[in-house]
Amino acid sequence: MDHDKQGRDSFEFPKWANAIRLPVALMAAGAPVYILGMLYLLFDPGTTSVGYQPEQPVSYSHRLHAGELGIDCRYCHTGVEKGAAATLPPTQTCMNCHATIKTESDRLTLVRESYQTGLPIEWVRIHDLPDFVYFNHSAHVTRGIGCESCHGRIDQMEVVSQAEGLNMGWCLGCHRDPEAHLRPVDEATTMGWTPGLDQRELGAQLREARNINPPTDCSTCHR
Amino acid sequence: MNKSPDQAYWRSLEELGDKPEFRQFLEGEFPAEAAVPTDAVSRRRFLQLMGASVAMAGVVGCRWPEEKIVPFTSRPEGVDPGIPRGFATAMELAGEMRPLVVTSYDGRPIKVEGNADHPLSLGATDHFAQALVLELFDPDRSRHAVERHGGTEHKRSWNDFETYAAEHFGALRASGGTGLAFLVERSSSPTRAAMQDRVREVFPQAGWFEWEPLTRDNERSGAAQAFGHAVATNYRLGEAKVVACFDADLFQDHPTALRNAREYTAARRVEDGRMNRLYVVEAGYSITGGMADHRFPTASSAIGTTLLQLAAELTTKQGLDLPGDFGGMKEALGHAGHAPAWIPALARDLMHHRGASVIAVGSRQPDWVHTLAHLLNRALGNTGRTVVHVDLSDRNRPHHAAAMGFLADSVGRGSVNTLVVLGGNPVFDGPADTDMAGLFAKIEHTIHLSDFVNETSKACAWHLPRAHTLESWSDVRDAEGRYSVVQPLIRPLYEGRTPIELLALLLEGSPAAGHVLVRSTADGMLPVLDRETAWLKLLQSGVLTGSESVEVVPTLEGRGIVAGVRRGAAAHAPELGENNLEIIFQRDPSLYDGRFANNGWLQELPDFMTKLTWDNAAILGYATAEALGVKHGDLLTLDVGGRTLEMAAFVQPGQAPWTCVVQLGHGRTAAGRVGDGTGFDTYTLRTAATLDFSDGLKIGRTGRSYPLSTTQDHFAIDATGRNEREQRSHTLILEGTYEEYKQDPNFVEHRHHLPPLRSLWEERTYEGHAWGMTIDLNSCNGCNACVVACQAENNIPVVGKDQVGRGREMSWIRLDRYFQGEPDEAKVAQQPVACVHCEMAPCEQVCPVGATMHSAEGLNEMAYNRCVGTRYCANNCPYKVRRFNFFNFNKDIPDVQQMVYNPEVTIRARGVMEKCTYCVQRIESVKIEAKNEGREVRDGEIKTACQQTCPTDAIVFGDLNDETSKVAELTANERSYHMLAELNIKPRTSYLARLRNPNPELAESSDGHPAH
Repeated sequence: MDHDKQGRDSFEFPKWANAIRLPVALMAAGAPVYILGMLYLLFDPGTTSVGYQPEQPVSYSHRLHAGELGIDCRYCHTGVEKGAAATLPPTQTCMNCHATIKTESDRLTLVRESYQTGLPIEWVRIHDLPDFVYFNHSAHVTRGIGCESCHGRIDQMEVVSQAEGLNMGWCLGCHRDPEAHLRPVDEATTMGWTPGLDQRELGAQLREARNINPPTDCSTCHR
Repeated sequence: MNKSPDQAYWRSLEELGDKPEFRQFLEGEFPAEAAVPTDAVSRRRFLQLMGASVAMAGVVGCRWPEEKIVPFTSRPEGVDPGIPRGFATAMELAGEMRPLVVTSYDGRPIKVEGNADHPLSLGATDHFAQALVLELFDPDRSRHAVERHGGTEHKRSWNDFETYAAEHFGALRASGGTGLAFLVERSSSPTRAAMQDRVREVFPQAGWFEWEPLTRDNERSGAAQAFGHAVATNYRLGEAKVVACFDADLFQDHPTALRNAREYTAARRVEDGRMNRLYVVEAGYSITGGMADHRFPTASSAIGTTLLQLAAELTTKQGLDLPGDFGGMKEALGHAGHAPAWIPALARDLMHHRGASVIAVGSRQPDWVHTLAHLLNRALGNTGRTVVHVDLSDRNRPHHAAAMGFLADSVGRGSVNTLVVLGGNPVFDGPADTDMAGLFAKIEHTIHLSDFVNETSKACAWHLPRAHTLESWSDVRDAEGRYSVVQPLIRPLYEGRTPIELLALLLEGSPAAGHVLVRSTADGMLPVLDRETAWLKLLQSGVLTGSESVEVVPTLEGRGIVAGVRRGAAAHAPELGENNLEIIFQRDPSLYDGRFANNGWLQELPDFMTKLTWDNAAILGYATAEALGVKHGDLLTLDVGGRTLEMAAFVQPGQAPWTCVVQLGHGRTAAGRVGDGTGFDTYTLRTAATLDFSDGLKIGRTGRSYPLSTTQDHFAIDATGRNEREQRSHTLILEGTYEEYKQDPNFVEHRHHLPPLRSLWEERTYEGHAWGMTIDLNSCNGCNACVVACQAENNIPVVGKDQVGRGREMSWIRLDRYFQGEPDEAKVAQQPVACVHCEMAPCEQVCPVGATMHSAEGLNEMAYNRCVGTRYCANNCPYKVRRFNFFNFNKDIPDVQQMVYNPEVTIRARGVMEKCTYCVQRIESVKIEAKNEGREVRDGEIKTACQQTCPTDAIVFGDLNDETSKVAELTANERSYHMLAELNIKPRTSYLARLRNPNPELAESSDGHPAH
């Protein structure tokens, strides 16, 4: 080594570099595969949990209740116009009807048990935003953003799954262009609602009338 | 501009002296690099504080952990998950109540505010109340009963105790309580008073003793001497033009302190055409002293003489007539001796404002000084106007020190075999000349109800867990007799019970529910018709209207007064000197009497004057320390009457010569993981005869030193050099005199000449809201309530003494405290500094990742999730208000303590920068509510946490674009200025210059700013 250093000006790889030639070559060859793989993961709906459909303790059917029976969303999700959380209904709400309807159904065993023992039913959260995101249901529903815009056609879901990516770009898309989604406030909970006229035209009217200017500041959602 | 040394502002004696250590400290932006403390002790301490006991449940997977939503089975009416609700309640501190409204988030109390419906709060609280929630969720709280036999302790339940009590107290009930004694905290609870009566019936032989280490007993006997019976003395500072405080800290250490502070500052709001003048005579700086227009550092033992000199001046030279027959008073006044030059000036000021002045004497002063003040207030026509009296509900109880003496005697005689201790910690805070632990050891059955297993619990056979205030049903009366109910915010987390529940168990033999006991007391005061509605209304508003006591004007007892004053005056003040210093015992501004020692928020709260955290110290004046050869941080030996203590020295400006102030409450040995071993236990020097102050202190040096973590030199603005700082200190904190203001209301503008202002980059315009804040330096007294309120609201972590020593405290608001003038007579100015939300924010320009951004409403906001921790922003911030998470301070916090977090604010992780957000979560919540209701945000609707708790209304927040808003009005005020305005970064927070109102007669000796 000493001899080499003294003898030559130009740089030479030390001998041990030979040993890492193969790994380096493999890494170079693998890089495109790696990059493609990461891109795939980035755009895969699974990454943003679209289609996430966990099994719930009670096989409650939104298709039956919200779809066929036409019960309004707010019958159960009472907080949706008042606060940040839409809230899940207490067992009491189920029993309002099921004290007299389908009182013997096996699918309702857990509900009856919960009602009798006072122990709550533990539902699995589907739409789970990161903890540094502060979303407020009331701020959207009372401005005329339909439930459907974020949650999809709940009335057609036997088992609820996540319909949208709920990532920041998706949120900002609507905050920057609310006309595409605004509807009359009393149609907020309607599933499958269609504007009578062009959505953009209606959206612009509603925005103008209700002075809707969705903020895009960081603190709108991050506090 | 005049640059005489007298004018320059300085923050510490180190800075004034420009010592090399200080310069070294200033070199780095954040003084030390991130490193976990290496030595074993401080590392262990660090981990302990981080609560390393509990680890997060290890859920690892591709998706984030599955979360459960657990709804009620049957939701109570009016409860909406996720919508916080406020409940009115109250807390008691040594029998003094603080009216509260506590915010409950899904059943979890997370934030304490003052009760705006209560006249003693008007929405404000102090820092003790603010820190209450952390105490509730303290993981070290006692969780079960403990029985001690010999050296071993056994875990017990309430059932076990009830079995024991059934037998033992059954026998005591049969014997009428022979050998039974109760040692209790002071309380203003009518229910407890009723129980005390019941004790007399059931246990006629039993003794009842009340002990508080910090008392206002001198005030009682002073009043008793003046009027024949003890009355409470309250003040109407709004009506007063001249206030003279003799060792009286009216803004902090008084049962009506919050109202005093508010009324006093309202009465010097020049915009309303009002101004008053405050004289303070005291030894060491108090909050009130910091607000003074004239402050005269005087040893505690000489304050009585000073008042005597004032009395002599008033009566003999200025023709004040004493009411009634005061033969012999002249002789007493003859003891006064030669008065200092300021006394005649003060006397003239008082004479000019008869009926609109106050002479207030602090609880530390002996009874005769109070007596004399009552006489003078009456003679000046103040009584009934600015000084009012109400009857005390417990006026017949003996003094706490006397009660403790009676108890010690009874135990010594062997006539006590059962001692029930309700709350308190007498083994720790009892008089040093009573061997409390030995006393307890002599008693066979000792029972202690306490929320912590503290020093006293460890000396007792039985320890019983006590319910926290926020878990309790109780009731209280305030200093004016108003009745309030203490209602629980949460069911007891552990098995805690309240003192009244324990008393009921011991008296009746069976447990009783607290709310039943309270309700039966309240029913006696509520109207018979529609009582239920009245009860609900009481719970809702937190105060029973019309329950306040009638003000009384007691007759003066001439003979008692003359005798008392003569006796006091004859005992001349001791000659103080190098070998005979005065030791003054004070409550700890953060820990009170030591009970809050395990509260990290309070431990880390910088003292309002010394800025010391995590410790207490022997506070000495500058000249005294020089004479003794003592340096800041030296470990001293304090020797008073043969009792010695090693304690660190703190050299403090503005302190009377030959006095040494020590704060009580540190040096705990059984406080918990946070409070154990901080500071020095000064109770060991404090005897029953010297509860307040004493001469005979000798100070020796050990030659060793002790590390003190003080924040006074942290985040120093302008490290560029002494000259530069001297020039600029006047632009940071602006003061003037009332005289100057009257001559030129725009004096602030002329004081600070700005260079031509140009912006470095394009300026923005703001439509819609433009949030801003004003802080009135004429009102702020530096009480620290805002600092703790901010900590509670914004989930700000506690970092520990070592980290504070490295300049890494996380508090978003710092109270800059500046001194001015000669060290031993230094004047004080307080200035709260948080992020000022610059419109042209320098921090935003240097963030490489866009983590700190500007909102359309002018907020300078932090997106924590983007922050990568380069700290460029903190480097570029001229106000030094950004705080960096050097460690994961919030990780591994025990489960129960995590309950204190505000769910509306993100918990920040390691490597993230943070700072004041103007309480953006509160802004958003009000904005959403207003929009939901289809209206505009009303002015004053959004209150930041600091603003809400401020006792003096110094902080105002609102929309600068709304011309009618309070904040816009104040920003346009002529006293308004921007700190570092020459940088043209357009801060949204502006300050209103402080006005001092010196007596023109005294203006030369303690000048304000001479006009330039």
